[in-house]
Amino acid sequence: MSKTQEKEEDEEFRAQLTHLEESVEDHPEDPSLRFNLGLLLWEKGGQFKEFKEKAAEHFVISAKLNPHNAAAFAYLGHYYSRFTADSQRALKCYERAITLNPDDSESGESLCDMLDHSGKETLEQAVCGEASEKSPRAFWAFRRLGYLHLHHRRWSEAVQSLQHAIRGYPTCADLWEALGLAYQRLGMFTAATKSYGRAIELDDTRVFALVESGNIFLMIGSFRKGVEQFQRALEISPQNVSANYGLASGLLGLSKECMNLGAFKWGASLLEDAGKVAEVNGQLAGNVSCIWKLHGDIQLTYAKCFPWTKGDHSAEFDVDTFEASIFSWKQTCHLAAMSAKRSYQRALHLVPWQANLYIDIGITLDLISSMNENYGLDLYPWQLSEKMALGGLSLEGDNYEFWLALGCLSGHNAMKQHALIRGLQLDVSSAVAWSYLGKLYREEDEKKLARQAFDCARSVDPSLALPWAGMAADANAREPTTDEAFESCLRAVQIFPLAEFQVGLAKLALLSGNLASSQVLGAIQQAVLRGPQYPESHHLKGLVCEARSEYEAAVASYKLARCAINISPGTASNAHLRDIAVNLARSLCRAGYAADAVEECKYLRKEGVLDAEGIQIYAFSLWQLGKCDLALSLARDLVSSASSLEKTSAAVSVSFFCRLLYYISGLDSAISSILKMPRELFENSKFSFILSTIHALDQSNRLESVVSTSRYFIVSHEDVTGMHCLIALSKLVKHGSDSCLGYQDGISYLKKALHKYPNSKLMRNLLSHLLLSTEEGEHTHVASRCCIIDSSYYGSKVGLKSGWELLGAGSVACYAIGNKDPKFSFPTCGYQCMKGPGAIRELQKYLRQEPWNHNARYLLILNILQKAREERFPRQLCVILKKLLSVALSNELYSRESFSYQYQKFQLLLCLSEISLQCGNQSDCIEHARRSVSLCIPNNYRFFGHLLLCRAYAVEENFVNLQEEYIRCLEIKTDYHIGLICLKIMESQYYIETDSNISELSFKDCLKEWKNSWNMWAAVFNLVLGLISIWNEDFLSAEAFLSQACLLAGTDSCLFLCHGAICMELAKMSSSYQILSFAIRSLTKANTNSIIPLPIVSLLMAQAEGSLGSKQKWERNLRLEWYSWPPEMRPAELFFQMHLLARRSEVQIDSSSNVEFCQSPLKWILRSIHTNPSCLRYWKVLQKITE
Amino acid sequence: MKLAGLKSIENAHDESVWAATWVPATTSRPALLLTGSLDETVKLWKPDELHLERTNTGHCLGVVAVAAHPSGIIAASASLDSFVRVFDVDTNASIATLEAPPSEVWQMQFDPKGTTLAVAGGGSASVKLWDTATWKLIASLSVPRPEGPKPSDKNSSKKFVLSVSWSPDGRRLACGSMDGTISVFDVARAKFLHHLEGHFMPVRSLVYSPIDPRVLFSASDDAHVHMYDAEGKSMITAMSGHAGWVLSVDASPDGSAIATGSSDRTVRLWDLNMRAAVQTMSNHADQVWGVAFRPPGGTGVRAGRLASVSDDKSISLYDYS
Repeated sequence: MSKTQEKEEDEEFRAQLTHLEESVEDHPEDPSLRFNLGLLLWEKGGQFKEFKEKAAEHFVISAKLNPHNAAAFAYLGHYYSRFTADSQRALKCYERAITLNPDDSESGESLCDMLDHSGKETLEQAVCGEASEKSPRAFWAFRRLGYLHLHHRRWSEAVQSLQHAIRGYPTCADLWEALGLAYQRLGMFTAATKSYGRAIELDDTRVFALVESGNIFLMIGSFRKGVEQFQRALEISPQNVSANYGLASGLLGLSKECMNLGAFKWGASLLEDAGKVAEVNGQLAGNVSCIWKLHGDIQLTYAKCFPWTKGDHSAEFDVDTFEASIFSWKQTCHLAAMSAKRSYQRALHLVPWQANLYIDIGITLDLISSMNENYGLDLYPWQLSEKMALGGLSLEGDNYEFWLALGCLSGHNAMKQHALIRGLQLDVSSAVAWSYLGKLYREEDEKKLARQAFDCARSVDPSLALPWAGMAADANAREPTTDEAFESCLRAVQIFPLAEFQVGLAKLALLSGNLASSQVLGAIQQAVLRGPQYPESHHLKGLVCEARSEYEAAVASYKLARCAINISPGTASNAHLRDIAVNLARSLCRAGYAADAVEECKYLRKEGVLDAEGIQIYAFSLWQLGKCDLALSLARDLVSSASSLEKTSAAVSVSFFCRLLYYISGLDSAISSILKMPRELFENSKFSFILSTIHALDQSNRLESVVSTSRYFIVSHEDVTGMHCLIALSKLVKHGSDSCLGYQDGISYLKKALHKYPNSKLMRNLLSHLLLSTEEGEHTHVASRCCIIDSSYYGSKVGLKSGWELLGAGSVACYAIGNKDPKFSFPTCGYQCMKGPGAIRELQKYLRQEPWNHNARYLLILNILQKAREERFPRQLCVILKKLLSVALSNELYSRESFSYQYQKFQLLLCLSEISLQCGNQSDCIEHARRSVSLCIPNNYRFFGHLLLCRAYAVEENFVNLQEEYIRCLEIKTDYHIGLICLKIMESQYYIETDSNISELSFKDCLKEWKNSWNMWAAVFNLVLGLISIWNEDFLSAEAFLSQACLLAGTDSCLFLCHGAICMELAKMSSSYQILSFAIRSLTKANTNSIIPLPIVSLLMAQAEGSLGSKQKWERNLRLEWYSWPPEMRPAELFFQMHLLARRSEVQIDSSSNVEFCQSPLKWILRSIHTNPSCLRYWKVLQKITE
Repeated sequence: MKLAGLKSIENAHDESVWAATWVPATTSRPALLLTGSLDETVKLWKPDELHLERTNTGHCLGVVAVAAHPSGIIAASASLDSFVRVFDVDTNASIATLEAPPSEVWQMQFDPKGTTLAVAGGGSASVKLWDTATWKLIASLSVPRPEGPKPSDKNSSKKFVLSVSWSPDGRRLACGSMDGTISVFDVARAKFLHHLEGHFMPVRSLVYSPIDPRVLFSASDDAHVHMYDAEGKSMITAMSGHAGWVLSVDASPDGSAIATGSSDRTVRLWDLNMRAAVQTMSNHADQVWGVAFRPPGGTGVRAGRLASVSDDKSISLYDYS
């Protein structure tokens, strides 16, 4: 403010002053003038006392004149309180001001401050209460009142006042904080956190609000949020003890959550953080016992959860590193426990009257002593931990938890029972007490009491782990056995991941056959982390890994188990060591380390503990190493001692021996030694299978009688169907020739057997497989019908091929895909293979279930190609196929040498080549086809590659290469008729210079090998010859070929149609009645043979009948023709024919129901022109009609 | 009247040092400092260099109290597991092991004649007296409870007895409780005389003036040191100055000063004539659990010595003059 301005203001003030003074002099009785003058002097007169005094004088007069002016009293109050220190008067003035205007916050606050300073709290409260009652807008009063209530712990009143005050001061962080506190004390935690949150929002340095909301979060169990709040508080005030305490306990809570889930490493790292925070806090406030208790809790939890790590993973494994890692793990746990013990002692030293600390120390002492080697061996009469528990009890004898602790810590069962029962007397619904009581009774072998106690515990609290574990451990006593026990134990493990429970779970899994389950794997892995010193946990882990076919891991675990035994002497029996060694040998053998397995077995033998299983492993490993003699001699020993063994293991040994013998010295010696064995060894289903298999391979049937007796012991449904399949397969072998298996016998056997077991998937799929495998392919349509597709993944692997594969192969093998859409073709196949279009869908499901399965993709491609071919290669299908093919061909499997992969690759390349050809890309087509023929596959198949090359060159009009490829095709030949037929067509289409007899001869050769379907193929060949003749316009010979074809294959309507058509053509040329009657005969057969009415057939019939003069038959056939076309495909000519029919019917109106009457002849003509406007004939007729 | 630091030993124990007392000099050796710690050991130190004479092990939990027989021949140490070990100072031979129920051994002191060992009985709300000849329990002086004795009463912990002190004439015994009351007993009649009131938080340490059997000093968690007329059942004065709990108090042999140790990490010297702290030693890094003046006696030792022990694992020795 500049000086001039000041001066101006001063002048203005003077002017106003004089003006007002004059007015006052004029009207001395006017209170408002007086007040205004006072106000002017008070506000503008600066801090000079004389002005204030003057102002006060005027206020006094004004107040006297108008005793209802609250403002005057307020100013007087200010004057007395600030300038004269006359608090009595000031109080009175303020009181008056507030009585007059309760909303005046300034006076109110001043009054209350004065009352507060003089300690008159009751008066203060009364003033505020009065003001708040008088006016709802006296927010200052509500605020005061709220704080006062809060101060006196009247929480619900405080909430009301504070809520009201907040309406007046919505951005006052203090009010929100106070409201939060009030809510918190009332137990309304959500409301409290919201209020605190608002306070923090308004002012983010509110440590109190942060800490308290953190505490609430901890209380309601959302540790993560709580930790966040405390961390924020610590950012503002890093030395805040309660924030540090909260953070540490939040981290502790979080880590406990982690550990209940089984995430030990995570939990441990959280605990390390928590421990650091607690330690810092201990230094900040060393004489707060709860901080030390928290530190103790953290360290104790750490000692209980710190997981073992195997040490350096890359390092070569040996006993020393293992021992070192165990030692350092133990050391860490021990140190943590010791630290916990010290911290609890500090806490106790600070507050020795706190009973729970004695219990904590007792628990810690118990943990420490349990870490020692000889725990439980030296029972002092008066254990320290027990004594400490008693200390807690002597201070607070009515706490049932202390009794419980005593029950756990005591070393004497009688004492335990007493303590637990005492605890239950104090709180009968303590599930923990019940379950410990159950445990105690179990140890005392009081099974019934134990079960009752466990049942009580579970009914009180089903989420407690111990009773479930107790139930599991109890299972042996009761009959409904291991599965139930496994379930109970699993539940216990899921509720609380304790190493003891987990080991128990793995044991039960071993008994109940659940070893491969991943729940068991997870449990046993955790058990190893928490109990690495127990050989049992490693051993069980090895078993679990082995059950999951992870042999390397299993081997490592077994080795660890052995190390664990070695470093803790005296605890393990020899039997245990032997078990581990046998398991190790087996895993080594399965993992492919035969030499190591042999070493193990040698060791066992040296120890003299090599049992039957061990010998088997030994012999097997030796055999794998190529030491056949040794293996055999071992196996012989095994068999010679078999009679002394228990029945099933004897059978196992004997079957092992037989297999080994067969592999090493062949069929004959196997058979001869089987014949030498005692008969009673054969009384086993497993062995019966082996006998049957050997019998199947033996052409001289030496084992006939043995096999038939042993089959009596096959009883289970599964085994019976398996045996039927085996017999079917043996029929294949026994009745087959050198080059060809006896499929027919196998099929007929299976068909018979299937009557007994119509639902056996194994048998159905085998039958389907056999049907597909027959060389001539005449049963393919049945094959896809009899296989069973099981969409559940695990079931699909029964038998040699899965249902999906059989279905896919079957539908590819069936040439007719059974497309129901007549847009593309009119199916004439009599077998009605219905699964055609469905197959593609099923195969897509298959591929979706097993995207890695190259077979699935391969079959899908072939099926889609089939569909594409039938639909004349529509663009979208070609695109799909190309994509699928590129994915399929990029599979590295196809770079392998094995025949099946090479064959599939060949087919895929042919597909790709075909697609390229159809898309008009000849160069790609040639390239792919060349790649395909360069593969190493039999000529039989390679032929088709060259055939495709022929076609490609033909399209390119490269006749030189065409000729060359053609010759190559002839050279390499094929057994597949279709190839030769195609070749024949190529030959005729492109006038290839050749001795045409060659192909016909080779075709005839080909036919001879086919017994059942040669006539079909001969008919097709004749059809082709006929077609060629037609192309050459040699109709007579064409008729001859076709009639030959009709004779050969008497059921195919297609052939008859062709024959009929050519007869009609001949008849047109020669107009011979005989030919016409041939035509009618063939066409009639075509009609009767086909499942759906074929188009053209009836038309030709009509013409033929018409030519013979029978108008009635002409009409009838023409009408039939109308219905044999699907509506959208009717050709122009059909409409035209209908016009003829309609015109004829116009003349003799008799049956109006016929189809031609639905339209006039003119309309029919118009429709035909509409369909084909380029035909002059229609136009002419139209002209005629309209004339 | 002042204190001067003589020697300080860092990491004298592996853990917090909780208790200290002087073993009076005998004819063969000077007075020794006896300390007990959370690390479960008891150590003997030889002044002025604080040379470690011996480490006694054997306790299973932290040592909360040590006491020395006026003859200087035997001493006792007590740990949280409520075992009192009485041993020969020079040979460390165990003389007796006194066992009490858990939570029932806290501070202890031999009577000036050395015939009785008084042990603050913690949760039993009593002081146990052990005969030092037979090591038999001879009496249990119970603090009367306001509501009458009910064993399962929650309030029993209110009278948790933490500290004990003999009057220099051996006729009176005072004990301090968790609720801040001090009880005075007539030892000869084994009778409770009266309470001394004034503190409202645990009284962790008590000491009679060596020159006046009526005067009792008390240290409490309420951060005050009180001076009582123990016979007259009245408080003479209250002295404030510590910023935390006062954990320990001891009176100088000449009776003109007291020293206190506190959780505010300081040791204070109070002039009783001025009734104010005259000196504050803040060389400890953590709370000071014990202070002890060396009793007079011994050959050629006239200088006053004060020892203090702390949670920071260190022991400090001061010259008091």
